[in-house]
Amino acid sequence: MRTSSTMPPESVASALPPARRRPDLGQLAREYGIVVALIVIVVALSFMNPYFLTVRNISNIFLQISINGFLATGMTFVMLAGGIDLSVGSVLAAGGIVAAGLVSGDHAYAPWVGILAGLGTGALLGAVNGGLVAYLRVPAFVATLGMLSTARGITEVYSGGMPIPDLADGFVELGQGRLFGITIPVWIYLACIVVAVVITRNTRFGRYVYAVGGNARSAVTSGINTKLVIFTTFVLSGLLAGLAGMILTARTTSGLPQAGIGYELDAIAAVVIGGTSLSGGVGTMVGSLLGALIIGVINNGLDLMGISSFYQHIIKGVIIVGAVLFDANARREQR
Amino acid sequence: MKQFLLGCVAVMALGAAASAADAKTYRIGVAMYGLKGEFAQSWVNEAKKHPAIKDGTATLTVFDGNYDQLTQDRQFDEMIAQHYDAIIFDPIDSNAGGALVARAEKAGIPVIGSNGPVKAANEAAYIGSDDVKAGEDEAKAVIDKMGGKGNVVILQGPVGQLGSIQRYEGNQKALAAAPGIHLLEKNTANWSRAEALNLMQNWLTAHPGQINGVIGENDEMALGAIAAMRSQGIDPATVPTAGIDGVHDAMVAVSKGYMVLSIKQDAFTQAQGAVDLALRHIIGDSYKPLSTCWTMYPSMKWDNGEGKLYNVPWTYVTKANVQQFLNK
Repeated sequence: MRTSSTMPPESVASALPPARRRPDLGQLAREYGIVVALIVIVVALSFMNPYFLTVRNISNIFLQISINGFLATGMTFVMLAGGIDLSVGSVLAAGGIVAAGLVSGDHAYAPWVGILAGLGTGALLGAVNGGLVAYLRVPAFVATLGMLSTARGITEVYSGGMPIPDLADGFVELGQGRLFGITIPVWIYLACIVVAVVITRNTRFGRYVYAVGGNARSAVTSGINTKLVIFTTFVLSGLLAGLAGMILTARTTSGLPQAGIGYELDAIAAVVIGGTSLSGGVGTMVGSLLGALIIGVINNGLDLMGISSFYQHIIKGVIIVGAVLFDANARREQR
Repeated sequence: MKQFLLGCVAVMALGAAASAADAKTYRIGVAMYGLKGEFAQSWVNEAKKHPAIKDGTATLTVFDGNYDQLTQDRQFDEMIAQHYDAIIFDPIDSNAGGALVARAEKAGIPVIGSNGPVKAANEAAYIGSDDVKAGEDEAKAVIDKMGGKGNVVILQGPVGQLGSIQRYEGNQKALAAAPGIHLLEKNTANWSRAEALNLMQNWLTAHPGQINGVIGENDEMALGAIAAMRSQGIDPATVPTAGIDGVHDAMVAVSKGYMVLSIKQDAFTQAQGAVDLALRHIIGDSYKPLSTCWTMYPSMKWDNGEGKLYNVPWTYVTKANVQQFLNK
């Protein structure tokens, strides 16, 4: 990590409580619980609908969760460090529309220019969030609520409120293309999860994220540059939102100024269902992946059965609260 | 944990009970842009009243796109995975919608467009009303009432949404043909009466006595503007206002002279016509339409179901004919 030069030596981090460093029994139980919940839902759905367990549908599900998955991955970094990022849906739209503007029409730039600009837009907006939260001490809820509105406005100004069609073929491939029969967004998502797992488990930065979220004061006393850690988590969240925005744009073949409205809620839901604590310090990337999968499977399954979206909203709400209730109970038992 | 799992299973079981579908009947999927408006709700209600749906020849499954392109994308994949016999499509975005139509057609599923057009698409057929024309005609009505000169404001629908874009395009056409009209302000009020009320109040404050006409891209926003005028002591009858959709409150406003025009969209014909076209494309030319909607307009004929474009005329509600709609 680029933060390592300012970080204290390894010995300090290892002096932190072990529970912050590797998953303890309670955490394993929680993760296991999510897996069981997922299996139960999958088995139930496959009995209820003959199309559910088809190869086509399973690959659909992975494609469908990838966008929320990117956002949830970024959100996990932020929430592990004790923050929250309400702006991801708007940052997604900004990253997508900037990329679309550059790769559209007769004077289109090469796809990689659009991709870099989309990622850069996301990271830049994330950096503004991070700067406000870490260095100017604006509460994360307020700073990112502001960005939720600002980034949406930037998107609308940039596009004039109109969709941007006619994207270069090379760019559209990012959303539509296939490699070994699996769509590109799924590959990118899998790669992103692997990198995120490695960062949280095997790097110093990852351990610092847990330490800052677990107990910011003792992290400071241990000599961790907590501000830089918090700042970096927001940059990562913005970067991944920008990536999600471009993939959504490529997938829908059009830059959409109204894309991503309300996506922050699904991302937070995935992270929370995945067992990450809202107060920071506890949780895993794999948990968030499973959380995103549960939401994706439920959306897909209820759609397949033709359940009205009005009921879907109720069911999703019940499951989110159920997961958090379970999480709170498990933690109480642990004590 | 056990309770949570039991909860999940119970919820799923509830779902299964609600969706027992007969495998022998034709299955038509409907991808709607969103279900939270009066028009979308009446579209769905009228479609479900189609004779072929009522007698069980076909089932209709409605997917709520929730105004989100990615959701609609997912729902198309799901309908394709389940081998629906036909899809009726009301898109969120007309460019992005083209990719979805292509995907379904590639899987051999005919797509019937309804209400909202798709750009550069190979839809089997399209039935809907021309939003550009409605936008042009409502603006003309306001401009005519103003005597061709003065300042107008435009209340727009949500940023980037298809219906909003097309109605505004029509507004602009009418304005371009009226050199004496100055466009004072335009902004989105997101189809919402409450948002339009605030916006119009601010405009009235910023331009006292200067707003001579209001073009609402739907009725709800026009009604919000009228409420703003009344709250500031302005007689709405002195400021020509028009809207689109033909909702009940707009009919009342037209009858009171507060609105010069509301353009009514025919959900019954758009919905039932789409179901007939879907069945025609599933079954073939032996299919005869069952809905009475084909007798509604002399300009729109069944044409053996071979047409590509079925243009449902708008109904223009003015003070002269409003009573017949209020009595319904």
